[in-house]
Amino acid sequence: MQNALGLLDDQNILFAVMLGLGLLGIGTMFFAMFTPRRWHIPYSVEIVFAGIIFTIVMGGAYYSQKTVSQYWADIPKMEEEASNKKITIDYKSDSFDTAVSAYLYQWGFIFINPDGSASRNALSVKPGARVLVHVLANDVIHGFQIPAVHITTEVDPKSVRSIWFRAPDKPGKYLIQCMDYCGIGHHQMKAWLVVTDNVVPKIENGGLG
Amino acid sequence: MAGEYKYQESLDWQPEDLFEKYTFKEMLTSSDARILGIKGMLLALIMLGVGGIMALTMRLELMEPGIQFIGPKPYINAVTIHGLIMVLAYAVPFATSSLYFILPRTLGIRNIQNAWAAHLSFVALLISAALLFISRPDFTWAFYAPLSLRVATDMIWMAYVSIILVGISEFLGGIPLISTAFAWKRESGKRWMEMPLAGWGALTGGLFLTISAPMLSIVGVIMLTDFLQITAIYDPARGGDALTFLFMSWFYGHPAVYLPLIPLIAVLYHMLPKMLGRNLWSHTSGIVAFTALFFLGFGVWVHHFQPNFTVHSWLNFFYQFTTMLIIIPSSLHVFNWVASMWQGRISEETRRAIPFKFIAGAIFMIIVGGVNGFLNGLISVDTDFIHNTYWLPAHFHAMFLGFIGMMSMAVFYFLFPYITGRMFSYRLANLHFWIWMPGIFVQVMMMFWLGMTYHPRWVVDYLPLPEWVSGQFWLSIAGFANGFGFLIFLINVLVSVRSGEPVSRDPWVMPDTTPASKDSAPVTNAAE
Repeated sequence: MQNALGLLDDQNILFAVMLGLGLLGIGTMFFAMFTPRRWHIPYSVEIVFAGIIFTIVMGGAYYSQKTVSQYWADIPKMEEEASNKKITIDYKSDSFDTAVSAYLYQWGFIFINPDGSASRNALSVKPGARVLVHVLANDVIHGFQIPAVHITTEVDPKSVRSIWFRAPDKPGKYLIQCMDYCGIGHHQMKAWLVVTDNVVPKIENGGLG
Repeated sequence: MAGEYKYQESLDWQPEDLFEKYTFKEMLTSSDARILGIKGMLLALIMLGVGGIMALTMRLELMEPGIQFIGPKPYINAVTIHGLIMVLAYAVPFATSSLYFILPRTLGIRNIQNAWAAHLSFVALLISAALLFISRPDFTWAFYAPLSLRVATDMIWMAYVSIILVGISEFLGGIPLISTAFAWKRESGKRWMEMPLAGWGALTGGLFLTISAPMLSIVGVIMLTDFLQITAIYDPARGGDALTFLFMSWFYGHPAVYLPLIPLIAVLYHMLPKMLGRNLWSHTSGIVAFTALFFLGFGVWVHHFQPNFTVHSWLNFFYQFTTMLIIIPSSLHVFNWVASMWQGRISEETRRAIPFKFIAGAIFMIIVGGVNGFLNGLISVDTDFIHNTYWLPAHFHAMFLGFIGMMSMAVFYFLFPYITGRMFSYRLANLHFWIWMPGIFVQVMMMFWLGMTYHPRWVVDYLPLPEWVSGQFWLSIAGFANGFGFLIFLINVLVSVRSGEPVSRDPWVMPDTTPASKDSAPVTNAAE
């Protein structure tokens, strides 16, 4: 599955670095406790150690900054595309891009498609489509997460978050969930990302009620 | 090296039955640092029990998907009280109180300074906890603003007052720590670099408390006035802004994680050389780590709601940068502890000593919880599976339950003979350790696993995905095991305080069996 940030593989490297550091730390601790060999460590070792840690964490920070900047830089471009191309719902078209608004309220989602139709708790996209989502929270702070495309955002009331993702290639139903506690119905606040090839999904027309 | 602090066995560390020495009335009013410390620690342990019952209630509910025992409302009450009680009424008071206990004698001065502030802090905390229990809030322990202003019941104003009071309590609790460190400087006339590391922990920990805690009170006041419709600062529906809340509350909320951490690190710096029977690896390295942690600790709080699209992107990256940097001083602390263990032989007495086992467990867990800070801080990974999944509770439970929980047990077992003049049951304490160590580890690992599979936080019910069901099941089992371990601890303390074996000499004087060589610095155990 293609990651929105394109970092599924890179993330594994970061993960391995983290595991390596942890195992090194724990291993050294046990070694220090149980080995009969005693060692009065000179200061130079600590300086080298701090240097290595510094290099690793700065490498991680540089990598993250590069990826996230790229991801953010794509948002204005996609916004422009979306407004220029006058996207219409055309599920038969091969190059399908769409801009969707997601309204988060207690305790559900409403998605407004470009043609103005609204669907409740289901976002329908074509496989592999690049989807731009404007996320708005109506009442309290909500979270918006689609695990299948590795994207999370937290959204405060009054502000709009723009995120984009590439839909999974395999048609199916993927979970969308709220990530911030938003009241006693928080655990029910789920929606589905419906990846479908050519069937036009059932769309509920109507207001935001 | 000049200014190197030498571990010295203070003459004052003799077992003593303080419960016999002081009457109950004297205990309430005495300004003896030890009495203040005991009061704070006992209150904190009661709160640990209460918070633990809340945790086990949640674990019982979450053991299987679906809603079986308690509904969403009582569940979130339990979450809220568990979080607030564990952090604000157990971890922070326990850490500061244990530092009160050891500080005067470690620094060689008569008593902690400004003991009145510690008294007031204790009273404020008691009132605050009582108000919290009465109001039974359901806005989670992070009390994010528009929600926490809306779920109000009639009693909810008490929760806001409770937040104000706990801020005041922490501010007051920091004053004795700072002034005692300054009293050391005044009385000894030595240079700052010669101050024992416990003193450095008191200084930086006290500054953390006094600088950050007022912000919590201000947040509480604004929430109260917003609730009473006097102001509308946090409520977007009436012209306020939730972002103001996030920035203000996390300005307290990030340093808050250092409030229990720093004092317990300070206590660890006192206990470790005593348990090993020799000097620490480096005094200077500890000072550097404390100072760097202090300055960086105030510059990272925005990472709690990163990436923040309403601030400019370079600011997000600035906070990512400082968050990454903070790994360095934390790992210098761990480096120092491991190097201290490595530089000399660890005697059989030390290995068998219960406080040493808990210290080793705490260091193990701080490594487990610390290294994943590397992933948490990176925005690219954070926006994938970390933000508000179970990964986050895993991180702070490794730190709070793993490090602070294990360390507080180490401290309590360590101080037990000095408080009661008796020894606890070795077998029960050993059993406690061997339940908690795997229990906490499994619990934390299961939370990491659930986080990696995108299990959301703060839910009473979850989808019956196989990876979530098995993760929650083993998490609950480990949670109950930890509860059982705490029960054993409780029994051990209650029995040993009356009928434990009396100890006449300092039980934690450990022989240093390292053969003398020209590499190792001479150990000075005698008072200088």
